[in-house]
Amino acid sequence: MKVDENKCIGCKRCFPYCPLGRIQILHRHPTAPGRVYIEIDQDKCTDCGMCFRANVCAVDALYQPTEPWPREVRAVLSNPLIEYKGSQVPGRGTEEMKTNDVTGRFLPGEVGIGIELGRPGVATSFRDVEVVAMALTPLGYEMAEENPVTHFMSDRKTGKLREDVLDERATSAIIEGKCKLENLAEVLEAIKKAAEKVDTVFSVEIISKVPPKGEIPIIPILERLGYEYSINSKNNMGLGEPVFKFPE
Amino acid sequence: MTHSLHRRGDRESLKGDFVVLGCPATGVNKKGSAPKTREFLRICWKHGPVNLGDMKTGNTHNTTIDDILDRVTDGTIVQCTFDNREKVVSLLKELKEKKPGISVIVSGVTDIVQGIMDEADLGRIHTVEYSMGTWGKTERLPDFEVLKLTTMCGHAMIANDLVGKLVRDIKRGRRTPEEASLEIAKCCTCGNFNVTRGTQLLREMLPLYMMNRY
Repeated sequence: MKVDENKCIGCKRCFPYCPLGRIQILHRHPTAPGRVYIEIDQDKCTDCGMCFRANVCAVDALYQPTEPWPREVRAVLSNPLIEYKGSQVPGRGTEEMKTNDVTGRFLPGEVGIGIELGRPGVATSFRDVEVVAMALTPLGYEMAEENPVTHFMSDRKTGKLREDVLDERATSAIIEGKCKLENLAEVLEAIKKAAEKVDTVFSVEIISKVPPKGEIPIIPILERLGYEYSINSKNNMGLGEPVFKFPE
Repeated sequence: MTHSLHRRGDRESLKGDFVVLGCPATGVNKKGSAPKTREFLRICWKHGPVNLGDMKTGNTHNTTIDDILDRVTDGTIVQCTFDNREKVVSLLKELKEKKPGISVIVSGVTDIVQGIMDEADLGRIHTVEYSMGTWGKTERLPDFEVLKLTTMCGHAMIANDLVGKLVRDIKRGRRTPEEASLEIAKCCTCGNFNVTRGTQLLREMLPLYMMNRY
């Protein structure tokens, strides 16, 4: 996101709408005496477009230029209005468990794990995304094909990202995939270690098919290992059609 | 994409907070899904959501329900936010009967959602996704009171500073808590922001916060 210095009057109305906080700098206009304008720090800005959509600029000074590769990945992951063609889903992730009732993406014995770097409100560099991705792949963690981050990998087996995206940033970037239930403890341990190496925050999510009867298989593992999980959750109602036939 | 999952708050704060999503599946029922998604939205609208939207079009606080319905295409994912358990029960009963055919997902406190499903005769949750919280440099996060509001937008489009500005506006008499909550709702394009809960949270923040910026 950029600001037209010849339109901007430095009123700062756009400041509080930036999800990344104070990333703007005030400058004196080079030719108009007494006039100030805002410059957005292009290294920190993730091109999410929130300041523009807030529609608070009285002089229409904010604009989003078409960005070339690799900077375009910022808006792909950060602006919820942009659809990544690889996933065919607007936003930065996939359908994951939302359609599990018809796709069977997560079978009994499998656990979906998502790591959403940069969220909430901190943003992430792709170098940090790579740190977490590379920590998971040796443990049988299978990256989701349709996920944008997977598409930015030069080697999906190792989780290595393309060199040209490593210096880019995003409001949030999700690593999505799944592993076998028996590998869950190891994968969580690897995520915990990776958390110490990154310069951002990440939200962790865990998906399980709920059996018709009995305990949800991930619960005793999380409780035994001492991991906390939230009281709220996302729940598939099983109303989609045609119904996927899950093995017993 | 987990934009309704990581909402922060205690049970008391989250017990009246539900996001109902309608999602067609790529490669299964996405082709020709637009009429089903519109039917899903019409049913949801009847049951009185406090917010409703589609990521690409906007929500009912920055556009109209007719605009949202008109711009539904094959593959559109839609969200409806409710502030009341009974509304979700009646909604799920109708969805069970009319079966729009796309996947339906409800985010909320797990045991309350299961209770709703039991009442609507839907049986057990099909697939569950839990949040395991925020890891890493958590010292960079704002106060929990601010997070309760900002995490209602899973795309992280609600700025921490906006919450501060709005609290200040309310304290100065420039806006009511209801108006401030609606201003936040406009930032969350998808329609996931629960304006009733937002108003309540802002009221709770007023005696706790003194905001100096902006």
